[in-house]
Amino acid sequence: MDRRTFLNNIGLTVGGAAAATTMPVIGPSVAQAAVAPKGNIPSTPLKMGHMTFLTGPAAVLGEPSLKGHLLAAEEINAAGGILGKRKIETISADEQAGTDANVKELRRMKLSEKIDLFTGVISSGNTPALGPVAEELSLLTIFVDGCTDFLWDKAVPNPKYTFRITNIQSADGVTCALAAAQTWPKAKKIAHIHPDYSYGRNAFDHFMIAYSKLVPGAQVVSEGWPKLGTTDFTAHITKTISSQPDLIVSSVWGGDYVALYKQALRYGMFKDAKFASTIAFGVAPHAIGKDHPEGAIAGVHSNYYFTFPPGNRWPANKTFVEKYFKRWNEYPNFQSDGAYHTLYMYKTAIEKANRLVGGWPDEEAIISQLEGMYYETAAGYLYIRPDNHQGYKDAVTGFSKNVAEYPFQILDPATMITIPIRNITAPPNWPKPGQGHNDPTATYNWIKETWPQVT
Amino acid sequence: MTIFIIQVLNSLFYAASLFLIAAGLSLIYGVMRIVNLAHGTFYALGAYVSAWAVGTAFGHAGGGGWHLMGQLLLLPIGAIAIAAVGAVIEPTLLRPLYRRPEEYLLLITFGLLMVLEDSMKLIFGGTPLSAGTIMDAMGSIPIGRLLYPTYNLVVMAVGLGAAIGLWWFIYRTRFGVILRATSQDRRMAAALGLNVSRVYIQAFAIGCFMAGLGGAVVVPAQAAVLGMGVDALILAFVVVVVGGLGSLEGAFIGALIVSFVRTAGIQFFPEIELAVLYLIAAAVLLVRPTGLFGRA
Repeated sequence: MDRRTFLNNIGLTVGGAAAATTMPVIGPSVAQAAVAPKGNIPSTPLKMGHMTFLTGPAAVLGEPSLKGHLLAAEEINAAGGILGKRKIETISADEQAGTDANVKELRRMKLSEKIDLFTGVISSGNTPALGPVAEELSLLTIFVDGCTDFLWDKAVPNPKYTFRITNIQSADGVTCALAAAQTWPKAKKIAHIHPDYSYGRNAFDHFMIAYSKLVPGAQVVSEGWPKLGTTDFTAHITKTISSQPDLIVSSVWGGDYVALYKQALRYGMFKDAKFASTIAFGVAPHAIGKDHPEGAIAGVHSNYYFTFPPGNRWPANKTFVEKYFKRWNEYPNFQSDGAYHTLYMYKTAIEKANRLVGGWPDEEAIISQLEGMYYETAAGYLYIRPDNHQGYKDAVTGFSKNVAEYPFQILDPATMITIPIRNITAPPNWPKPGQGHNDPTATYNWIKETWPQVT
Repeated sequence: MTIFIIQVLNSLFYAASLFLIAAGLSLIYGVMRIVNLAHGTFYALGAYVSAWAVGTAFGHAGGGGWHLMGQLLLLPIGAIAIAAVGAVIEPTLLRPLYRRPEEYLLLITFGLLMVLEDSMKLIFGGTPLSAGTIMDAMGSIPIGRLLYPTYNLVVMAVGLGAAIGLWWFIYRTRFGVILRATSQDRRMAAALGLNVSRVYIQAFAIGCFMAGLGGAVVVPAQAAVLGMGVDALILAFVVVVVGGLGSLEGAFIGALIVSFVRTAGIQFFPEIELAVLYLIAAAVLLVRPTGLFGRA
């Protein structure tokens, strides 16, 4: 099979936006007419715990999560609360406290603050520790991120109370690989710089398994594994350049990435090699300067960038970006989108459950409505798979570009790459690690076993 | 060969910034017996203040030679500001606790770390601040087919200059004698009529100045990001554990060892980059528990 057929079969599309420019402008979707809630609704406030990085280098990714959450809560409260009665009160917590402290905080929130919903969380190091505790406490939990495959593969294999919104992590490495293979199919010598923890390892594994299916002869010529929170990358950069790679792949994120790209610029790292990142533009958009190299694959964790889908084609995005900008005077990132729509999906599930059972629905009823839910988010349709409670939406990545409208560098909406999520993640019931294979994730095994090899 | 030269330069650059942080930490411990857990945060604060000052005064556009000179002259503001902060903190926060067990000082400096980390976020926001215009204005030197940022050489020069200056100050000046006397026996120094309180303020302020200077010179190369201080503190501890807590030579040699070993780790054994620094520290502790230059 040749590469072009392969990518066509995968359904990778580039720059859907170009065709859309001639389409008529559609107004924002009209909110569903409010239906009076059934039965007696208590007027006690709903308490929510939102945990994200509020300090440390990850805050530039994490603060937007809380901002997205608060925006949704304010909107819902202004409209009278959920089911017209219950307003939202949010308790925030700083994820930077460390995994053990985060687990304690989760218990405290449930046991002494009596929260109704736990949400947020960014690090893949934290969700596998928090998930089992949330299950043990029977606490309805919707993680915004912390998207490691390990959560559903091993830590919580049969979730009941825990859900997760952003795309599963394996999709990130695979999306980056497909975009790179589509754009620079001749790149065979690959250099890697990844943070040394579960996310970086996951990105490395999934990039390589997918990329080597598409680009025969691809080989790793250099590896760098900086610690999370590193600010000096000069030695990694020199090593990377010394391996004379065709393509440099990185999953360094947050404030670390800002430090990395600024140093790499001065060493000329972007001059002779192409650059592809899974998550470079995942930070709050204004954190990326116009000095960032243009034309790089600058991923957004395969989730969402605020310029895409363009507002004329997907009004839900236009509305969301406008509201967010009006409230916070900045543009949202994928965490903002995730946190914002988490609350709205929760609200929708409660309204549906209320119509079925009346009164304030119990956890079981809310969960039954979240399972299998399809929801129109700013990023596109989001589907919650009932078997693993994982949110799936089409994966996106794009190319960095300077435009006059924004004082920072953006992802060019005209060349955004979209890939149907079902084609890059393992289907339900695919054997998990330890069930007949010992690959890092179910998706890794699924790609290894079922994807054809381009020749 | 080119790669080798650049990696050596990278190591010296990294050693310079490590030395600036570790020397202050070591000085404060040597004179006052305080393990200052907020030291890394002073370094971060220095970086933020300098980046803020350069960004505010010159914006983010490039400029000519005078422009560059102005920016370079503005950089040390971070160091001066942190020295001032130190001069306020020592008499108000630390001095009341000297008669208590040292756990109290650990707790209060840790508390200070937390308060300062949050204050930085409150004042400067979550977005990284950069003084990269200086880097850009100074350009790069071609070495073989590769480039090396000219500004990094400035950082090395500042590191070396600070080491020589500090050495001269401690071993060749009257104040240095007072400092060393106080460090050896505080009571005796006081009995001989030295104003120990004033020496403490000065020592603490100099230590803070070094941390602030570290942040100030590094910020054009790396950008000020939240949390950079905590990472720096851990690295500074590795340096002083290797070199010996309280020793200037120790901080100097320790910074060089840590930096070169880290670079070698990254170049040749990327898989164990995380572990390699702690392995050195563990090895030194096994052979010489007080560090290479430490006093028992």
